[in-house]
Amino acid sequence: MRIDKSAPNRQKGKGRPRNSEASTASLVAVLNHVRLSEATTRQELERVSEYGRAIIADRLAILSELGLLNESETGVATGGRAPRLVQFTKDYARLVVVTLDQSAIGVGLADLNGKLLMEHHEEINITNKTLTADRICALINWLMTRLTRQPKTPDLWGISISVPGPVLTNPNTPFLLETPNFLPDWENIGLVETLMQRFKAPVWMHSNVETMTMGELHGGAGIDQQTMLFVKVGQRIGAGLVSNGQPYHGATGAVGLIGQLPVTSGNTTGSLDDMAGASIIKARGIKAAQSGESAYLAEMLERGTSITAIEVCQAAQMGDSVSTEIVMQSGRLIGGVVATLANMLNPQLIVFAGSIAQTNDILLASVRETVYGSSHPLVTRDLLILRSQMSNSAALLGAAVIAVSSLFDPVFLKDWILLGSPTQHPDFVSGLETLNTSTQQADDGPRAPLSS
Amino acid sequence: MTIVGLGPHGERASPPERVTLLPQDITVARAKKLRIAIVMHTLESDWARLVVQGIIGTLGECGAIVIDVVDCNFSSKAQINALNRLQGEAPDAIISLPVNNATVTKAHLAISGAGIKLVLIDNVPTGMLPGKDYVSLVSADNFGLGKIAAELLSARLPQGATAGMLAYDADFFATNEREIAFSRWMEANRPDVTVKTARFSTINGAGHVAVQLINDHSDIAGLFVVWDSPCIEVVRAVSKQNPDLPITTVDLGKEVTESFAKGGAVIGVAGQRPFQQGEAVARTTITALLDRPCPDWVALPGLIVSRSNFIESYQAIWRKPVSRDILIGFDLTQTT
Repeated sequence: MRIDKSAPNRQKGKGRPRNSEASTASLVAVLNHVRLSEATTRQELERVSEYGRAIIADRLAILSELGLLNESETGVATGGRAPRLVQFTKDYARLVVVTLDQSAIGVGLADLNGKLLMEHHEEINITNKTLTADRICALINWLMTRLTRQPKTPDLWGISISVPGPVLTNPNTPFLLETPNFLPDWENIGLVETLMQRFKAPVWMHSNVETMTMGELHGGAGIDQQTMLFVKVGQRIGAGLVSNGQPYHGATGAVGLIGQLPVTSGNTTGSLDDMAGASIIKARGIKAAQSGESAYLAEMLERGTSITAIEVCQAAQMGDSVSTEIVMQSGRLIGGVVATLANMLNPQLIVFAGSIAQTNDILLASVRETVYGSSHPLVTRDLLILRSQMSNSAALLGAAVIAVSSLFDPVFLKDWILLGSPTQHPDFVSGLETLNTSTQQADDGPRAPLSS
Repeated sequence: MTIVGLGPHGERASPPERVTLLPQDITVARAKKLRIAIVMHTLESDWARLVVQGIIGTLGECGAIVIDVVDCNFSSKAQINALNRLQGEAPDAIISLPVNNATVTKAHLAISGAGIKLVLIDNVPTGMLPGKDYVSLVSADNFGLGKIAAELLSARLPQGATAGMLAYDADFFATNEREIAFSRWMEANRPDVTVKTARFSTINGAGHVAVQLINDHSDIAGLFVVWDSPCIEVVRAVSKQNPDLPITTVDLGKEVTESFAKGGAVIGVAGQRPFQQGEAVARTTITALLDRPCPDWVALPGLIVSRSNFIESYQAIWRKPVSRDILIGFDLTQTT
């Protein structure tokens, strides 16, 4: 559905022009009031928006025509005729969400409220960048086949990706037009460009820590929490912060890179990533298996199982004392850093996530012991330290929430609302055209001989 | 075999040995006189019956009474009604296999919301979280099963062949995993093979869908059907015109066993271990009712079943010997 914004005197109903900046602003406001459940009837819309009855009726007509709102259901009568309910058409389009971490990939579909509708996760080694990018496309294609089984196939309005590294982007650009540098060499793969061209939808990208913090806030332990610290423990260790119920981004979006902090264990000093992350847990586990110090891990090795941090954590959970000590050592170091953050920030809740935290309870116990032992009593009096129940779903849900927030941000929304779809946004259309042209030129250009 | 798939939220699998019951646990469980209900998607399949046998036997050893075993016949409505009714009967736990995704979420959430422990088999409605909305998911490594089926079929596919896949047209964790894994294995190991997918929404309709798929792609040289009950429908529908078309599937059900034994269309099976899965479900349920932590996802590896190991696989899955007729067919009644 598209309404021609360029028509100079487009009139409808009582003949008023409705393509002015003011009318667009009121359209955006009405849509967002309904979308965020701030108003569910025309009367409530008049009250919360402070627009008159005629304006509300007019804007609702346009938004219904665009397919974004509907008034097909009636509410509960409170003395007179039952009011028509104004509802956001959350199923009008879909969002694809993707999460990548060092050893796994996850994909999902979400509605326009950011609710996850389906998801799938599988192992992958992301050091093989081309294979990983191909796999992302293959899984999105699979999700698209599931979309077409619905009576009316919803359009795809965006792809939101969660990646294992900080993503520095311009906060004033509504979506990406090129792949940012989030891990070494990934900008050369052209992931964002490929997804834009293949699926013809805007793409967003944020760090795993940021998306998982958002996911935990909207669907996990962080629901209704005002101050939450989120810590992801994997190969890298990162943190996210929620303050006053909102995620804290920092000056450049590089918040929570606690894995770079120096820590000391015995005579060794190194970064928290190196001293407590998955790599050191794996290395210690392999050493314990090869030396026979851990009979449990040695047997796994003998049976041909590769020892990774996951195996060490599972061995600890099964009671292997050597593995338990390896995991506890990491927990103490992480706990020391988290205690510093807790004393500084005084959170209500600290949530631990990531494969290392979620495959066993030992790490969490060790962290708790250190945090409680190193913090001011006022900080720990009501402090909850929990393990996330969401696993990588937190990243998918968070990516969906971020995409919805970007799509319906008033500044972005006003430029596409009358066009009916964010895929018609002028910046996206011109960005895609530029990309297609440059791809065409590259294909048509002279090619170097294979032997050169 | 190791677990190759990830859980519904990307969890790493825990082996069934993670949920063990010591004699003292069983003593405590017996003293509690627990009441437990089982709500299955169907009781018509051989797999489902064997899972239920494994659950009931283990619960019996723990002194837990099974107050109901419900057959939902793949109906969301029937499952919602059953869960609503059982909630009123206030059992200590409900073991459920959700028949699909969105439509049964609310009814399952109501169970855990009422303080009844909920243990899921094979499927988790999107949005439900372990430890909060349910205790654990206990399933086979369905991703691994899809890979096994692909590998078995691949051996019968010539270079450049087209393979057909009959997938389930419902959003269901187990069958989604098998479908995705089958395609991924082919992409990675047989890039020369093109996979064409069609979806069936009912078991009875699977045969018709398969015929349509073959009509649309006459070069199809092999089929994968995501589980055994629709596979039998497919075999019936396509074998008359395509007697040599090799088919792989998941689960060594009774009719697939007969097809195997006769050297029919089914040339390989990715076998689940339903009895052991049922036992793991029951142990997980009892562990949760003893207020001890349970893993988010307990997964059992699959079995590669071909004609060469069919007899022993049958015994491992069914916990009984194959019939004498089958042994004669395999010429295994006498030493050679």
